[in-house]
Amino acid sequence: MQYGFAIDQRTCIGCHACTVACKTEHEVPLGQFRTWVKYVDSGAYPETQRDMGVMRCNHCTDAPCVAICPTQALFKREDGIVDFDNSRCIGCKSCMQACPYDAIYIDEDTHTAAKCNFCSHRVDQGLEPACVVVCPTESIWVGDLDDPESAISQFVATNTTQVRSPEQNTGPNVHYVGASPSVLQPLAAPVDDTYIWAQPDKLRTAIKTDLTMDPETMARTTLNTAHPRPWGWMVSTYLWTKGVAAGAMMLAGLVMLFGGAGGTLGEVVAPLLAMAGLLSTALLLILDLKRPERFWMLLLKPNPTSWLFKGGLVLSVAAGLSFLWFVFGLVDAPTAIRWLAGPAVVAGALTAGYTAFLFKQAEGRDLWQNPLLFWHLLAQAFMVGSGLLLVLGPFMSYGDLRVPLLVGLLAGTVLHLMFVMIEIRGHHGTDNAQAGVKIMTGARYGSTLQLGNGIAVVAAVLALAGFFVGGLWLGALGGIAAQVALLMYEHVFVRAGQEVPLS
Amino acid sequence: MTIEKDTEMTVPLPGQRTRWGLSNYPPPEEWDRHTQADPKTREPHDYMLIPTICFNCESSCGLLAYVDHDDLSIRKFEGNPAHPGSRGRNCAKGPATINQVHDPERILHPLRRVGERGSGKFEQVSWEEALADIGGRIRKAIVEDRKDEVMYHVGRPGEDGFAERVLQAWGVDGHNSHTNVCSSGGRTGYTHWMGFDRPSPDYANAKTIVLLSSHLETGHYFNPHAQRIMEAKKNGAKVAVLDLRLSNTASHADLWIAPWPGSEAVIFLAVASYLLREGKIDRAFMERWVNWDVYLERLHPDAPVEFDAFIERLTEDYAHYTFEYAAAEAHVDAAQIQALAEMVAEAGTALATHTWRSATAGNLGGWQITRSMFFLNVLTGAVGTPGGTHPNGWDKFIAHFPEMPPPNEEWSEKLWPIEYPLTTNEMSILLPHLLKDGNRGKVDVYFSRVYNPLWINPDGFTWIDVLTDESKIGMHVALTPTWSESATFADYVLPMGHASERHDTMSFETHTSKWLAFRQPVMRVAMDKQGIPYTDSRDANPGEVWEENEFWFALSWEIDPDGELGIRQWFESREHPGERMTMDEYYDILFNKSVPGLPDAAAAAGLTPLEYMRKFGAFELVKDQYRLDERPLTEAELDGATPDANGVLRKPVTEETQPPLVGEAGAVGLQHKDGSKVFGWLSPSRKLEIFSTTLADWGWPEHAMPNYFESHVSARNIDRGNDEFVLMPNFRLPTMIHTRSGNAKYLNEISNTHPLWFNADDAAAMGLKTGDLARVSTEIGHFVARVWATEAIRPGVVGMSHHMGRWHQDGHPGSRWVMGKVDLNRNDDGIWKLRYKEGIKPFTSDDPDSERIYWDDPGVHQNLTFPVQPDPVSGMHCWHQKVRIEKAHPTDQYGDVEVDTNKAREVYQRWLSMTRPGPGPDGLRRPEFMMRHVTPRRKAYHYQG
Repeated sequence: MQYGFAIDQRTCIGCHACTVACKTEHEVPLGQFRTWVKYVDSGAYPETQRDMGVMRCNHCTDAPCVAICPTQALFKREDGIVDFDNSRCIGCKSCMQACPYDAIYIDEDTHTAAKCNFCSHRVDQGLEPACVVVCPTESIWVGDLDDPESAISQFVATNTTQVRSPEQNTGPNVHYVGASPSVLQPLAAPVDDTYIWAQPDKLRTAIKTDLTMDPETMARTTLNTAHPRPWGWMVSTYLWTKGVAAGAMMLAGLVMLFGGAGGTLGEVVAPLLAMAGLLSTALLLILDLKRPERFWMLLLKPNPTSWLFKGGLVLSVAAGLSFLWFVFGLVDAPTAIRWLAGPAVVAGALTAGYTAFLFKQAEGRDLWQNPLLFWHLLAQAFMVGSGLLLVLGPFMSYGDLRVPLLVGLLAGTVLHLMFVMIEIRGHHGTDNAQAGVKIMTGARYGSTLQLGNGIAVVAAVLALAGFFVGGLWLGALGGIAAQVALLMYEHVFVRAGQEVPLS
Repeated sequence: MTIEKDTEMTVPLPGQRTRWGLSNYPPPEEWDRHTQADPKTREPHDYMLIPTICFNCESSCGLLAYVDHDDLSIRKFEGNPAHPGSRGRNCAKGPATINQVHDPERILHPLRRVGERGSGKFEQVSWEEALADIGGRIRKAIVEDRKDEVMYHVGRPGEDGFAERVLQAWGVDGHNSHTNVCSSGGRTGYTHWMGFDRPSPDYANAKTIVLLSSHLETGHYFNPHAQRIMEAKKNGAKVAVLDLRLSNTASHADLWIAPWPGSEAVIFLAVASYLLREGKIDRAFMERWVNWDVYLERLHPDAPVEFDAFIERLTEDYAHYTFEYAAAEAHVDAAQIQALAEMVAEAGTALATHTWRSATAGNLGGWQITRSMFFLNVLTGAVGTPGGTHPNGWDKFIAHFPEMPPPNEEWSEKLWPIEYPLTTNEMSILLPHLLKDGNRGKVDVYFSRVYNPLWINPDGFTWIDVLTDESKIGMHVALTPTWSESATFADYVLPMGHASERHDTMSFETHTSKWLAFRQPVMRVAMDKQGIPYTDSRDANPGEVWEENEFWFALSWEIDPDGELGIRQWFESREHPGERMTMDEYYDILFNKSVPGLPDAAAAAGLTPLEYMRKFGAFELVKDQYRLDERPLTEAELDGATPDANGVLRKPVTEETQPPLVGEAGAVGLQHKDGSKVFGWLSPSRKLEIFSTTLADWGWPEHAMPNYFESHVSARNIDRGNDEFVLMPNFRLPTMIHTRSGNAKYLNEISNTHPLWFNADDAAAMGLKTGDLARVSTEIGHFVARVWATEAIRPGVVGMSHHMGRWHQDGHPGSRWVMGKVDLNRNDDGIWKLRYKEGIKPFTSDDPDSERIYWDDPGVHQNLTFPVQPDPVSGMHCWHQKVRIEKAHPTDQYGDVEVDTNKAREVYQRWLSMTRPGPGPDGLRRPEFMMRHVTPRRKAYHYQG
């Protein structure tokens, strides 16, 4: 069974009754919406047209929010409704990244994820969802889309229908009849400087400079709701901290795996740095939760398909290995470290790279879906891990690490720059990803991106020069530059990915 | 009270549906105890589902309150499936009622001003003190025969007949309405066709729907009408919309015409000309029901008195209204008008046309737009037919209490000044000027009731001048659930209940049905069900909030405590003489005696009529009635009636007789030449008056026919070269309720800016872009607004919605959801300035949402800058403003308003000079057939000089 909606935009009058009935049914805080009505004006006077679209959760057959939710707070019921249990939600916001429809928000009262749940409490009692009850023009159909005999299936079968973002392959179960593509396609209608009777949120207003109005349709969004970026500086910083940890583990691990001497830097400080990086990573991740005190649910009620959960495991294993490494380093047991190095390198690689799988699960962020992301993250890990070890190296013995660190910094940085160039210049499969690139390179982030790249070039040049000059000093300077460069890049990458409008 | 399940099903539930395995409402059997899981906790809660009616617009849609059995709190409002108009469905404003009930800014106790009126300082006072003070003052006025000094000024009535009975019992001529800022232009047009002042289009069965108003988003009757318009569209009906801007309604139209303001009549007349030219008219209908003989007699006395001659002359008379002429006047493409004409012609008798406000409320002579529009129905015979336009009286039922006080014999010049004998309603917009005139007396006790006169009316600063002048208004009592700008200028602010906190009956012409709906204090009904005792609604409502019905009874008692004035008896219990009648007793009598069919239906369901209404909240008396003009008169109606020279059947009347609400005293119907005696219409001739003898004989002979009355803002009157525009300041949003939605947070968050809609090309030509500030100057002042350059409005016209521009002065009470803080100053020369010091900001209250307010725009109080522009016939305030627009001056701030009230006075006098004052024929103040609230005896109609 698969409950779904069919919305007849031919008769929808854009009255917002569904919006308000939903809000009173669920007591949704101000500024947040489980369903809302979007308006798009298009054409030039007197050929002006206004189209409306009722936006909400699509109760996807393959719901990405369910797949990514680390604690099974979001789940798919047997009747196909994607429901949520807010007592299990830790507020990680990954579902908001996974949803390609802007359907999920963090409830201001409970600080947990919430969305249209098809009024499952009503449906269980044989009652229609609140929005269906109130609709003056009976424009919202509900029923079982799996049953070809159901009225909704017939309605969908006998009319031309569309869904939002079909390219995401989520199996959306809200079908639109008579909707304008400019309403359903979020990039087809940028905002103007104002809505018809409300103010666009700051984010929508800001990105309008990065999106262009179609001169043919002149479509512009004239009413919509705000969808702030779920993830901010803590997540972009987390990419750095875990990159540092991963890089330190991989680089020092590789050297020692192949019999090189690590010195204090490789045997003690590298695992210490990894532990510090991993601890910071964990702290950032937990602090970024809207319900940090529920962190433990990640372990007790895990969702094995979620890369947030799997990533947690990876980070834990990496932390455990680093700790052992550190202990072995303190007691000066290089053989044990060599024995440990192989697993540590793998753990480091996964620490760096798992985020690619997590971001892959963030189906709503096409910019993050780049298939090269895993390798890019590895390169970044080498860049910042080597870089920071170079910074620490001058203060202690560093065995055979000098050249490998310079190579790591140089290669990591150059590869990073290459991946960035591919990101910016390359072909992207979807309009959403393309828009993400436009936002990255546009007026708001372009200069940060370029400056970051310039600093990366400086880092690479310093690393290269380091080969020809004794000691680690030039490499250390390059290492500092690498940290700054990556933070600037991640700042842009994480934000831009989330700023592409989905509704 | 128990209900047997098998009889339950006999009660019609037009809005109940079960489809796709789901129902919209639990069955009524469960309404006394319905268990529903809490959506958050999934814990079951037991609710009582108690019907009431929405108070947020005139439509009076049904609501079901979910009252929790445990603590009697209201959890939410859904629709009422038993309500024939709304059929269980609502617009956004229905469910938002819960916000209003729980509004942390609402007024919970009676308040009395401290210091000067308008100081904004109030103290809590007991209801008893307030009643004694106000009642004593009214008593004094009545005893001293100052019966025109008590005035009840109502915005949203939300009830039918109750307050009028109270005023009639007091013997005062004091009913004042908001109608002249609302619908007088619509009403006048309909009145002079058929006597009835409102249309009732049968949308659901129409083939072509022509809308001057935006009924898919606002107005009378938004939700019920939108349901039926869309139903018709699904069945293939075509919709044409005339609107200056792209409303949501226009966006659903098959044909959207955006004419130059005021030219709408020409467009309709061009369509009429086409119908005549092409012979696409219903001759039989016209021959029988149009007063064509009068037309010939008055306009073509030489022509033979024959129908064919009439059609010939009529076709000639309208021949000059060509598509091209209309297109030139309207500044639109002639092809659009032709398309409209063809749509109209194709509809046959299934042509539903409708206007209520819009152009008819915007333009000088707007009533001729209405008259021209209905002309199309008359020509095509689409009057009273399936799919045609009906008079509202066929689809509306007012339940009058069986025992009515005697009619009064007063006539207030402050309500019905002699200069405006044909105004449909009281000249409410002029009240401050009429008081300033000095020769029309003063008001001793002024009730503003769900009404914000200084905000909503034009020339609000003159209102403030008068409201603060105790020699003109002795006492101002504001009856309101929530703070308004006007309430801060009251002596008493008395909190009255919201939709779920009061008793009222309502009935509206939402479709071809006569229904009566019942508003009730749901928590009190819940207390009844649980056997919890109470004295009156105050015991059930939040704080000391009362309901007006009980308040009026208590106040009337206070006016005449011992019954010596003969007033008390009308409010006295029949069961317990000497005590005030309770609402239970009142409505028990009303529903038993005054609602045909209800007692039987109730009995069939095993209930008393009152129990039935408390349980289901609505009753449908009849439905699907067509062509009631042809209804044969009953024996009782004919008893004693004789036809006059024109066939109008009349019963004898005296000067003491009270005319009905609409229609002439004694007139019962029409005897046709074929001898049939039928009800006909409520016009003087009981026919549809293509030639209005009223208009002709009361000073407007050139406008006796449907005609083009050139607007004050016609293209000829606007100098575009001088950056003059027409400002359309009064369009409405689907989520707002005049100035009354401030207390509904879920509505505010959807609509919370107030841009000046500006055609993109016009804006570009002036170097203005979206977000820029513009100074908009009227004849008496200016305001500063923010531009929205858009393709959604026609060139030459700018528009602002009508709900925003809310303010309170520093330290004065207000609703912080929507009101900005202002500095308000008046200099000695009568120049007023209003400037915002603060916009909307989050605030702390019991509701955590108040700290989440994310909008800041209080809007622009544009109405302050409008002079009064009363149409000399209808009395309608002509809302469209001729304005001059320039870029904001360097010192201008958003929302600034500046007005010279001396100029406002001059404009009042100029528009007054456009009138053709009464008295009319026979020395009458007003034609008797025209609707008049609290109708006095016929003798009061004689002008005494």
